Amino acid sequence: MTDRDAGTAEASARPGPGTDPDPLLRIEGLRKSYGDEEVLRGVDMALDRQDVEVIIGPSGSGKSTLLRCVNRLTEFRGGDVFLDGESVLAMDENDLRRRVGMVFQDINLFAHLTARENVTLGLRRVLGMDREAADDRAMAHLKRVGLAPQSESYPAELSGGQKQRVGIARALAMDPDLLLFDEPTSALDPELVGEVLGVMSDLADGGMTMLVVTHEMGFARRAATTLTFLDEGRIVERGPPDRLFEAPERDRTAEFLRRLTDLSEDRDR
Amino acid sequence: MSASERDQPAARRALGRAGESLPGGRTVGLAAGAAFWAWLVVRWAALWLGYDEPFVPSGPFEALAEGLHDDARIIDATGGPLAGAADVVAGFWFWFSDVARFLAFSTEHLPALARGAWLTVVLTIAGILLGLVIAVPLSVARVYGGRLTRGLALAYVELVRGTPLLAQLFVLYFGLNLSQYFRGLTGGLLPGIAAWVAVVGFTINSAAYQAEYIRSALESVDVGQLTAARAVGLSRLEGIRYVVLPQGLRYAIPGWTNELVYLIKYSSLAAFITVAELFFQADRIAGNTFRYIDMYGLVALFYLALVLSATAFMNRVERRVAIPGLGVDSER
Amino acid sequence: MTALGAALGAALGGIETAVGVGAGAIQAPPTDWGFIVENADYLLAGAVVTVLLTATSLLLGFLAGFPAGTVEVYGGGWLRRVVRTAGVLLRGTPILVILVFAFFAAPVPLPSGSVTVPFPGLPPVDVGLSAFTAAALGLGLRSAAYQSQIFRGALQSVDAGQMEAARAVGLSKLGAIRHVVLPQALRRSIPGFQNEFTIVLKDTSIAFAIGLAEILTRSYDLFVQQTTATLEVVLFISLVYFLLTVFTNRTLDYLDRRYAIPGGKG
Repeated sequence: MTDRDAGTAEASARPGPGTDPDPLLRIEGLRKSYGDEEVLRGVDMALDRQDVEVIIGPSGSGKSTLLRCVNRLTEFRGGDVFLDGESVLAMDENDLRRRVGMVFQDINLFAHLTARENVTLGLRRVLGMDREAADDRAMAHLKRVGLAPQSESYPAELSGGQKQRVGIARALAMDPDLLLFDEPTSALDPELVGEVLGVMSDLADGGMTMLVVTHEMGFARRAATTLTFLDEGRIVERGPPDRLFEAPERDRTAEFLRRLTDLSEDRDR
Repeated sequence: MSASERDQPAARRALGRAGESLPGGRTVGLAAGAAFWAWLVVRWAALWLGYDEPFVPSGPFEALAEGLHDDARIIDATGGPLAGAADVVAGFWFWFSDVARFLAFSTEHLPALARGAWLTVVLTIAGILLGLVIAVPLSVARVYGGRLTRGLALAYVELVRGTPLLAQLFVLYFGLNLSQYFRGLTGGLLPGIAAWVAVVGFTINSAAYQAEYIRSALESVDVGQLTAARAVGLSRLEGIRYVVLPQGLRYAIPGWTNELVYLIKYSSLAAFITVAELFFQADRIAGNTFRYIDMYGLVALFYLALVLSATAFMNRVERRVAIPGLGVDSER
Repeated sequence: MTALGAALGAALGGIETAVGVGAGAIQAPPTDWGFIVENADYLLAGAVVTVLLTATSLLLGFLAGFPAGTVEVYGGGWLRRVVRTAGVLLRGTPILVILVFAFFAAPVPLPSGSVTVPFPGLPPVDVGLSAFTAAALGLGLRSAAYQSQIFRGALQSVDAGQMEAARAVGLSKLGAIRHVVLPQALRRSIPGFQNEFTIVLKDTSIAFAIGLAEILTRSYDLFVQQTTATLEVVLFISLVYFLLTVFTNRTLDYLDRRYAIPGGKG
């Protein structure tokens, strides 16, 4: 996917988001509430294979919930989610999660397992691989995120950035069709953000389909095929990142993007 | 020693905080507790005034039990098409009869149990309060003492916590024959010389456990607090007294609740050195009447009522003295 | 001695103690400490019973307490209510009452007779089966009630994100509990278990109430015969208890360090 490197060219070279008649992920009228509070009020979107969709929005806008509905870590009320044309509600949830990997904001590495064992747990217990094959595959993926030397370290012995890269390797090793990222860098010290974003960019370039909640605007501009602004449980605006950055249709989008950009410039200073 | 240098593990602390209560029926529990205590206090007053007859005669219950039993036998003997149903009904009737029998037995012996419960309560409160008096300096010595005082405090705590309370009571009562020093002290709050020995034993024992609870609570107070106190110009001792202790003692409340419950239950061991507390009374009656199940069941209810009351009370205390915004830890 | 005799007679509930203190077991001593030396074997045989009872009770407590703790965290409905209620009852009743209840009112008939346990270097240890079974049952169930709280606390202390991450990889709930939550919780329960270990060890002494010939009962049987050596006898057995608790604490400390997760607090 070389066309990713040129953001503007790509937007015109590729069909618009969700226009493929057979998208990998299709979300239709998704609704979810916690008690009286409506978190998602009808969300529609579609991702084709190799798309990278970045979702932004203020806290409480429903971004994390949206991701969790996709792999059913949260059960939703209304609407539906289709993976490869099949409703996720009709699928076995463990099978669904095998096909949809997830990377967490608070990383959640298994504290009692080494980096390598963190990756092999799912391979062995879910995919039923034998120890040797699982080890080989885990090492390959740790190498891919640049952590082969740390394979025998425990999570508490790794830096935040290293931990999150193990988290990505753990999700990646399951060979998922789709990867979900829930603010993967927001719990990290600023100087560690870059290494994680680097791995994510490489994945995007390699053609992985990704649904990413993040406020890293640099990553969004560089790697996203689509940018979605979510607020109060609804999609405010959705489109190619360059268009949203240069010419947003809604004032709210413009204001939110300006605040985000200021913030990251503050941090960079 | 390593075992006690460890912080009270989270699980234990959570246990203290959980504050034992039976699931469901909060108001029912409150009502039952209030009735129990109302009865107990009136009963104690009556005993004090020399009235030791049951408030409710056991005769009617006995008559009821016998009546029910006779009915049950008649129902049980029913034959014909209804024999199956009659067996079930008779089963219930036999059970009702047993309940009535238990009530008759209970009412007859409640005065003796109340007398024993008085001693149990006095032993517990004396043990925990006198123990606290020793525990505070002991824990301060453990945390802030020099080498020698720290070592002595540690030795005391470890020796007491490393041996059974029953063995300690044996040492005091049989080994040292401590009761000879309490000869003149009969009557009053603590009838019997042995009860004084029990108070000494519980005090020694409880001081060690309370010292551990308070020590770990003191250590959980941020070191910056003492530094700040010194910076204001307080002496080290004043800093401990006015800044660290007031915070630490609050953190120690869950441990204190545990200790109170522990003492209520383990005060029963005083029975082995002839103290006529709650278990002693129950055991004596059980031995005389051979109704072990009824009596031990009844005395278990007594202890349960005391324990649940104590935790409810301590939870109240904890809420009352809580520092706003400073949640006493480990509420998950 | 009369008041004491009455009290202990009552405490023993008129049950023959099945201790088997043959008069021959006790020789006339030159001094009171000499009396200890001469009867050390007899007392240490009691310590073997103490250790056996501790181990049996803890094992029973684990077998019942571990599932109980799991039910309290992950279970629901009536099962959880039953487990919680049983826990409150067992934790709210003195172990002394539980033991006499188990002995006099056991729901199952207790085995009778006694078995002889050989122990190297000591005279054969006679263990009365009914008292031992009742004591193990009472101490074990009570310990289960406490161990369930240790495991409950440890399970709850494992971050909820661990469960979520395990589910996100595709593990079932049971698989996530088994492979991710339990291994961490078990490590974290070692300190609580250490407490429980010493509590059970010390509370075996209360089996005195039902006449089990463990070390404290044996000390009693000795010093009522040789009243001048009373202090020496009770101090000696206190020392034995102390050494046992220190030894087990040290061992569990070692295990705690040995199985700690590198770099972390567990």
